[in-house]
Amino acid sequence: MSQAVSKYHALYESLLSRRSKPVLPTGLDRVYGRLAMKLRNSKISLDYLRAEAEASDRIHSTEIRELSEQSLADQIATVRAAFVRGRQDETALRRALALVREVARRETGEDPYIVQQMGALALFHGRIIEMLTGEGKTLTGSLAAPLIAWQRRYLHVFTVNDYLAKRDAESRARMFKRCMCETGSIQQEQEPAERFGIYARHIVYGTPKQITADYLRDQIRLGRMTTAWAGRHMMAQMSHMPGESGMGPMIPGLKACMVDEADAVLIDEGVVPLIIARPRREDDMSKVYVKAAAIAIKLDEGPDFEVEHVKRRVELKRRGLERLDTLFEQVPDPLWKARRRAEELVRQALVAQHCYIRGKQYEVVEGRIVIVDEYTGRFLPDRSWEHGLHQAVEAKEGAQVTADRETLARLSFQRFYRTYPFMCGMTGTAADATKEMEAVYARPVTRIPTHRPVIRAQWPMRVFRTAKGKWDAIIASIEEIHAAGRPVLVGTRSVAASEFLSAKLKERNLEHFLLNAHHDKDEATLIAQAGRTDLATGAAITVATNMAGRGTDIKPDEEAIKAGGLHVLLTEMHGAKRVDRQFIGRAGRQGDPGSAQIFVSLEDELVVRHAPRLRAWLEQFSKLKGGDHAALERAVTRSGGWDELDDTWSSRAERIFKLAQSRSEAHDRRSRESVLRQDDWVDKYMPGM
Amino acid sequence: MSAERPTFSPFWHRVRAMKPRLRPHVQSTRQFYRGQRWHVVHDPSSNQYYRLNPVAYEFVALLDGKRTVEECWTLVLQNHGDSAPTQHEAITLISQMYSSNLLAVDDSPEVDQLLRRGTERRSKMIKQQAIGLMYFKLRLFNPNHILEWIEPIMRPVLNRWGLIAWIGLIVAALIALIPHWSELKNGVDDTIASANWGWLAVVFVVTKLWHETGHGVLCKRFGGNVPEFGVMMLVLFPSPFVDASACWAFQSKWQRMAVGAGGMLFELALAAVAAFVWLSVPDGLLKQIAYNAMFTCSVSTILFNANPLMRFDGYYILSDLLEMPNLMQRSTQMLKYWAHKFIYRLKDINPPATDRDELAILTVFGIASTAYRVFLFFSITLYVLGKMFAIGLFLAVWSAAAWFILPTGTFIHWLATSPKLADHRWRAVGVSMALIVAAVLLIGVIPMPDRRRGEGVIDSSTKSGVFSSVDAFVKEVHKRPGEFVAKGEPIVTMESSQLEAQIRLIDGYLAEATAVEREATAGNPAAAQVARQRVATLQEQKRFFLEKQDKLVVRAPHSGVITGADPQSQLGAFLKEGKPICDLIDVSKLRVTALMDQTEALWLYEQPREAYDVEMRLVSNVGEVVEGGAVRVIEAGTRRLAHNSLTFAGGGSIEVERLEQQSGVMAKRPQFQVEIDPKRIAENAQEVWAGLPGERVRLRFALPPRPLLAQWVDRLQKLVQGRVNL
Repeated sequence: MSQAVSKYHALYESLLSRRSKPVLPTGLDRVYGRLAMKLRNSKISLDYLRAEAEASDRIHSTEIRELSEQSLADQIATVRAAFVRGRQDETALRRALALVREVARRETGEDPYIVQQMGALALFHGRIIEMLTGEGKTLTGSLAAPLIAWQRRYLHVFTVNDYLAKRDAESRARMFKRCMCETGSIQQEQEPAERFGIYARHIVYGTPKQITADYLRDQIRLGRMTTAWAGRHMMAQMSHMPGESGMGPMIPGLKACMVDEADAVLIDEGVVPLIIARPRREDDMSKVYVKAAAIAIKLDEGPDFEVEHVKRRVELKRRGLERLDTLFEQVPDPLWKARRRAEELVRQALVAQHCYIRGKQYEVVEGRIVIVDEYTGRFLPDRSWEHGLHQAVEAKEGAQVTADRETLARLSFQRFYRTYPFMCGMTGTAADATKEMEAVYARPVTRIPTHRPVIRAQWPMRVFRTAKGKWDAIIASIEEIHAAGRPVLVGTRSVAASEFLSAKLKERNLEHFLLNAHHDKDEATLIAQAGRTDLATGAAITVATNMAGRGTDIKPDEEAIKAGGLHVLLTEMHGAKRVDRQFIGRAGRQGDPGSAQIFVSLEDELVVRHAPRLRAWLEQFSKLKGGDHAALERAVTRSGGWDELDDTWSSRAERIFKLAQSRSEAHDRRSRESVLRQDDWVDKYMPGM
Repeated sequence: MSAERPTFSPFWHRVRAMKPRLRPHVQSTRQFYRGQRWHVVHDPSSNQYYRLNPVAYEFVALLDGKRTVEECWTLVLQNHGDSAPTQHEAITLISQMYSSNLLAVDDSPEVDQLLRRGTERRSKMIKQQAIGLMYFKLRLFNPNHILEWIEPIMRPVLNRWGLIAWIGLIVAALIALIPHWSELKNGVDDTIASANWGWLAVVFVVTKLWHETGHGVLCKRFGGNVPEFGVMMLVLFPSPFVDASACWAFQSKWQRMAVGAGGMLFELALAAVAAFVWLSVPDGLLKQIAYNAMFTCSVSTILFNANPLMRFDGYYILSDLLEMPNLMQRSTQMLKYWAHKFIYRLKDINPPATDRDELAILTVFGIASTAYRVFLFFSITLYVLGKMFAIGLFLAVWSAAAWFILPTGTFIHWLATSPKLADHRWRAVGVSMALIVAAVLLIGVIPMPDRRRGEGVIDSSTKSGVFSSVDAFVKEVHKRPGEFVAKGEPIVTMESSQLEAQIRLIDGYLAEATAVEREATAGNPAAAQVARQRVATLQEQKRFFLEKQDKLVVRAPHSGVITGADPQSQLGAFLKEGKPICDLIDVSKLRVTALMDQTEALWLYEQPREAYDVEMRLVSNVGEVVEGGAVRVIEAGTRRLAHNSLTFAGGGSIEVERLEQQSGVMAKRPQFQVEIDPKRIAENAQEVWAGLPGERVRLRFALPPRPLLAQWVDRLQKLVQGRVNL
């Protein structure tokens, strides 16, 4: 392939992709679409997958296992030819799967289980598959990848981070090569010229952020062009120009993608728009934000304004509005005379002060505000909030107020994924998001059974009145399990909470690892050690934010398995059930023993925000453990004793917490939906990207 | 609290750098609505309209293809501050105008987007047509060239002088018609009679074409274009229409109203002309046609087109008169607003009204038009069901789907997904459920009075004539028809001078005979014998005449009410013996004979008499209620009419048909003939009921209370039963 041909090819494909603007169906169309999808996919049942995988397994053991290297290559070439022409039928697919499996066995030494083959087939059929942690998603994916790449020409495999993209691409390169697929990975530091070459390969690993950004840059570069003729003309003119501008689009169209950790990527991250922006050239607004913060501090919560925590909104009351009148008059700057804008600034400052909490939504790192991902607890250093919210938070923290940025192009990940005509994905917890996957991406979800049954024990939830009591109990529980020689993984919801717990453990002289956004460099090593029992201090204690829920496996060593496996302790319930399940899924992988327990308190954000009345009811009427001593204990409680709810009330509280969780999920789902609608509306009625 | 309007929009980048401009052929007019300035932007080629407030208009006017959207927005923001459109509003404005093809965007359009918009528009149109099957529109051709030809001819009269002449014409016609009022009234029956339908249809089509010409010509007169002529199937009845929406861009509201009223103005003028024709020609076809024209041009127009509750002429005139465009739509929004505010207690919503007057008008209009629409649905459906059962049923189901089920679906969808309800969806669902439960209880569970109506005539089993039993002149009349007389009470006193003379003569003879007898008794016993005999004869004669004299006072043979001829009219007249004076009805034996539609009155057999009450009111005296006693079904399946006053023509409500061979009419559908005794009279015969035989009586049967739903289902079932056999 010469460069020139592929340049026009990329242009053509990329224009095709840009023209396919998938629209979310509404009303009856939506119902019909869902039914049609179910019908279309009804054939691919678990039984069907198992039968096919077993058929493939038979072909493998009878015909393929003993093939010589040369005839293996020949057979692959034949099967691939059928796939490229779109002539793959069930027999070809069985054979193809057996061939790829054999290549995998010879190259990596891993022989996939039946369930993994089933998973690969489901992926090939465009499913989102749920495979529990440790069931070998990487291998499953790499079985399906060549098949999809043969058929669809280009496959993008989305991974959680650059490191994994590189690792997987490198480890699978030789295997894919033998399957006649070129492999590459997109890394942050790569130059556009280098990326150009990588995107031309069949299987490209990368993070959604990188690939989406490249796609968006391509789109900016293409301008408002919609036809290949216009593109040809433009390219002819630009080819004389130096550098990347002469190269046309980098990505030769969006053909197929395979998403790892599909729920996180498609759902949680899906609504975050990727924005290419540049600083606004206008005059410095930083003073304005600082002033707004100063004014906002003068208002009193209650009489002047009310905070709606769920919506992250502030409602100004009459008294507040009147006070603002006088406050605005004292400012000489004419901007404060434009009432609505001024009010908006103050409201934003109030939101920044009351709804955004350091250590939860953001951290201050080297004088800069860094957003913390609420799902994974990771830092998102190059993300910022829009419309001055970021600046308002900066003003609140007294950090350097950065310049407002001006959006050049914007694409929500959701829309980006929907542009792919073919999509499949893998995740540990897709079942909770089935409806949304089906509604937004029209992709059905298949639960692949585990290879070995899960024997992880779920210990009953423990509910406390106060956060203080909860933390005391958590530390006691950690000590106890640690003493039993089992490794413990403690999950916290925010960076601040992990730091707090870490400090507490230090007080008690409990050696532990701390894994949060501040320490994410050592993630892989920390996780690798989290299952060990032979450390200097005995079994490992790892305190981590939710980031430890995904990515590399924690393998408990033999001693740990003997002692009962890994114990996962959650210190709070997350807003999404999936995140909790994912984290708990760390214990008891591949049929290992393990256990998990959740600790909550009535002061947790989840119930405070999403079930305030029920929470108040609990607080007032619930009975504490210890029966007749309750009153006595309550006195102790005030001074920092335990205040755990008794069993009946605990189970009641558990239901309320679950309700709050589902409310929180519904709330998030709604906000995602509204973003989606907005996206759609804009695409429908506005020209341009 | 009003909704927030954030200044910035995340999608601003998509329009920020664009340099759109108004398309060159787009026209704009300034209009005032309720003292506020508005600008109507109008694309004559696609007939799209867009109403802008002054600030938005300024913003749009700044878009000249050279400035970017951002520059224009900033300019407007500097000039108007808070009243300037926010980014989101600007985007909405641009995108709406862009998709209405009012705005040109600098470079090549996105073909896919255009195509998709086109498809969407088409499918929306089809959907609207489908929903409004009762008003199915068939577009035919562009009437522009016809109007271009007619309008110059009529131009000389299309001005204020023309209007004055029009008023003069109408007044003259009315004055000319007043003396012929009763004749006019009688004509209505002939007009509705089915024999006339053919001519009526012809006249209807012609006058409606004339009506549309009115709209078209006036629209043309004030400079508007009329791009479309077609036929609307109004409940399957074709009636023409023109698209005079060009008048929305007229600056003067009077011009807009004139176009709206144009059809009716023309029709009424035609009606006046037809009136003169009707008055001047002799009976015949022409007179009939003139009458039909008069009828359709006045009555139907006023009933139909002038009604502001449906989207016809009256509505547009009203909306212009009130200076409230989109009245219907906004009044619906208004009702929604109230529901949102008071039932669902939503915050952050604004009423679709700008001032208090508007608020009140929108509310009233919303309630009225909604109620009217429901009423219309039921009456049209029932009417069509009665005429053409299959089509009616289809139409009913279809419109029920369009008017009730679809909105219900939308409502449920709103309840389930509206982000506005996010905070208290369960409360909203609860409130809705409570309302529904209340409605269900009201309709389906709580027994409501079940009243059936009927009509009958008074009838009496005993009626006797009152005759004169002597030849005499009527001297005095004591009782007149309608008056009650007790048995033996005098009705008429007569006098007969002959009788008196005869009595006097006999008296004379008697005196003489007595004297003769006295004399003979003394002297001549034989003669005395003769004389005594003569006296006896004379006395006998006198008794006879005295008896006759006694009969001069005509007395009631039994108690009752005088009816029939008025004795007063006989006053002074000579009546021979045996001549009838009047009739006397035995009121103790009055009863009502009613005809009840057999399909609807099956309950007569199902309900025992004790279960229901009957109330009877005389048509002539509706205020007085008489309770009914025993009810007997005399005859079933009869089509014979008990009395002519029960027919349509007689003022009743029974549909009749004329039979070919026989003379007279028969009820169209089989009836029960029922006899009802008035209770009060049975108990107390002395009391007078003003009702007289032959008088029409309205009957109301109060059946045992049942839930409304059961009543409706019952009636519908009866209705269906009655038709399916046809």
